[in-house]
Amino acid sequence: MNPISRISPVSDADAARMVSDAALADLAERITSSPVRAAPARPRRWLFGIPLAAGLAAAVLIATSIGHPGAKVGPLGVGPASAQALVFEKHGRYIDVLVRNPVADPRRYRAEFKAHGLDITLSLVPASPSLVGTLVEMSNSGGADGRGLKTITAVGKCWTGGGGSICPVGVRVPVGFRGQADITFGRAARPGERYETTAPADARGEVMYGLHFHHRTVAAVLAVLRKRHVTVPVFHYTTAKGIGELLPPSRVPATWHVYDADPWAPHQVMLWVGPGRVEVMPAASPDSPVPSPSPTSSWPAS
Amino acid sequence: MWPVSKGATLRYPQPAGPDERRHRFEEVYAANHGPILGYVLRRTQSPHDAADVIAETFLTAWRRLDDVPSGDEARLWLYGAARRVLANHHRGERRRSVLSDRLGAELTGAYLMPEYTGELAEIAAAFRGLPEADRELLALIAWEGLDHGQVAAVLGCSRNAVRIRLHRARRRFADMLARHQALPQPTRAHITNGGPA
Repeated sequence: MNPISRISPVSDADAARMVSDAALADLAERITSSPVRAAPARPRRWLFGIPLAAGLAAAVLIATSIGHPGAKVGPLGVGPASAQALVFEKHGRYIDVLVRNPVADPRRYRAEFKAHGLDITLSLVPASPSLVGTLVEMSNSGGADGRGLKTITAVGKCWTGGGGSICPVGVRVPVGFRGQADITFGRAARPGERYETTAPADARGEVMYGLHFHHRTVAAVLAVLRKRHVTVPVFHYTTAKGIGELLPPSRVPATWHVYDADPWAPHQVMLWVGPGRVEVMPAASPDSPVPSPSPTSSWPAS
Repeated sequence: MWPVSKGATLRYPQPAGPDERRHRFEEVYAANHGPILGYVLRRTQSPHDAADVIAETFLTAWRRLDDVPSGDEARLWLYGAARRVLANHHRGERRRSVLSDRLGAELTGAYLMPEYTGELAEIAAAFRGLPEADRELLALIAWEGLDHGQVAAVLGCSRNAVRIRLHRARRRFADMLARHQALPQPTRAHITNGGPA
């Protein structure tokens, strides 16, 4: 027997038995109630954190992306509408792609890539401060033709949520790249704009860095946040049935406790709260105790 | 980009898309939730994280339903999607989603990561000591039971590349295991499993 098979933490069948049909149906229902967005690419391959000497692209992206997000649209000066959105620099066998305008129309990025013979879709999404300028997602397809993209990292120059310091800040495209790729970077959010990608609110570089807020009362945490000019437009509360609800500040008693926090928008966080000092995770719903068998008979046993 | 930020889904109106699309998703979901639950649980420390990754993986499938292949290949596609979501999570980007609150609550009550002793502890330590790429390759074969062609589909590389990388990964694993087995393990003689120290 393959020794690694012996340390399989859980089989598919056992995993499936751990959740009720009702919970599975609930998830499916919530997902299919979500809006569908156009997503052109096939996620075939995740490239992340390949160490590479940080070249000009990395330097420029770091310089333009890490700094003082907040009042303006990122520290990078946003050029006039007619300015080039991307800069292409050829370095030997690679092209470094620099983002000159982080809030350009995505179609402009696409057009500029196309003008260089590249089928690349670039998106920039509003990110909480410590993720600004980092690579949020990269996927590419096209078989052998789709390979070869490399991430440019700046180890230690930024911190992703859990303390990771690999800091992917750019992408290198091989000359003659014929695949298709989707690349998403975090950009600074406009005032009031909701983040689409977040690190923990107390991660280095985030507005609650260094604050001790776990299990403190809402009143105490709000007082500390006020000193930092951070507001809480919305609270997250998990009901006894395990359903998450968003509550406006007016519906949250000051005596409740804070379990967690997430960046919400510039100078705004969402707090996870509840009446008890310690968050109580609701048990499985009593009306759905029937284990659900693994649905795939073809699935090999672990 | 994984736009499932906390709470965001609560704001979405009911329901989106025609019945046909929903039906197709439900088929994919019914046929694959077990394997995806297993895949993700085997690779995460916390049941809540696992629930979030599972939710994001199927949300990706819902949004990219036209890209999801039919039949057994759907499972491979979902493994690839789950792998990317996990990579984001390992970067520390939490997406605790209200989508998965209930699933997370149930998994929290039901799942406990096993702790190994003796020979299995050595195997586990050797495995953990490998680079991530090696671990994933070996796990896809040992835990998900995939063949080389299926691994190639999940990782987006050629079958030949899988064969070569697997050869190297197995060699590194054997080296690592030998190293762990060579380490002195004084505590084992004194502490019986489950008994008092």
